[in-house]
Amino acid sequence: MSFRRRIRPSRGGGYEVRLAAEERALLAVLPLHLVSLLDEVGDKPAGNLPDPLRRLLPPAYTTDPDAERAYQAMTRDDLLEHHRESLETMSATAKATWLDEEQLAGWLAALNDLRLSLGSMLGVTEDEAEPPAGHARQAEWIAYLYLSGLQSELVDLLEGTLPDPVPGADDLVPDDLWGDPPGGLRWDGTPRPRDP
Amino acid sequence: MNEIAIAPTAVPTEVEEPETHETAMPELPWLVIVWNDPINLMTYVTYVFQKLFGYSREKAHKLMLDVHYKGRAVVSSGPKERAELDVARLHQHGLWATMEHGT
Repeated sequence: MSFRRRIRPSRGGGYEVRLAAEERALLAVLPLHLVSLLDEVGDKPAGNLPDPLRRLLPPAYTTDPDAERAYQAMTRDDLLEHHRESLETMSATAKATWLDEEQLAGWLAALNDLRLSLGSMLGVTEDEAEPPAGHARQAEWIAYLYLSGLQSELVDLLEGTLPDPVPGADDLVPDDLWGDPPGGLRWDGTPRPRDP
Repeated sequence: MNEIAIAPTAVPTEVEEPETHETAMPELPWLVIVWNDPINLMTYVTYVFQKLFGYSREKAHKLMLDVHYKGRAVVSSGPKERAELDVARLHQHGLWATMEHGT
């Protein structure tokens, strides 16, 4: 890697964070916007939520409305709390020069939540490296791409801290259960349109 | 699919097949499926599979590629309660997971 890592393991444990003041300001304020949106969710069905929130509260059962209602009643509050906690952790520690492991895990989750909501709002398609020309929301695009870069760096860092694989775990799920549907499928099982 | 003839088929038999598939249904495992989405980073998805399920890097990478290129992959299976827990953990990590009965 030719660029300097912005977050790296600290010699005495935990992680050193070297970010510019402008980056820290963004990381402090963006999560709070999303928290205030999450505060209004309550027990509304996911179908009635705007795109940026719906992506954070996905369904478990897509063909059984009763099972889905029961699942949401059981898990919604925990999931909302999990999102909220991560976002508040990143906001509260955005100015810190050192993070412990739990705080850094919060950053990873918060970065992902922010990207999911921003990306849904922007209608991101696969792996866009720059804002589409003429897109009205250039600022949101730049924020999205910035967060993607930072998250990517964090994933590379945290992958090195994973414990050894669980023996035999790989054999618990079959490889390639459905074969290869031409063009692939969307999340709801309908065929994915071919890339242009 | 072509059947391979291992006995003369001209002899009709009246043996009734026992209908085992009806009673076997409740024992089928639930499948936890992760669907493709354009936002989650490929490296992040691989990381989450390793972290949550203890898969090797190779297995996690292969499942991620299935999600990305084929649209979906089964990432775990088991009894309903286990599958619901796995779906909840995947949702906490921002992955688009659903569950359905095995076929």
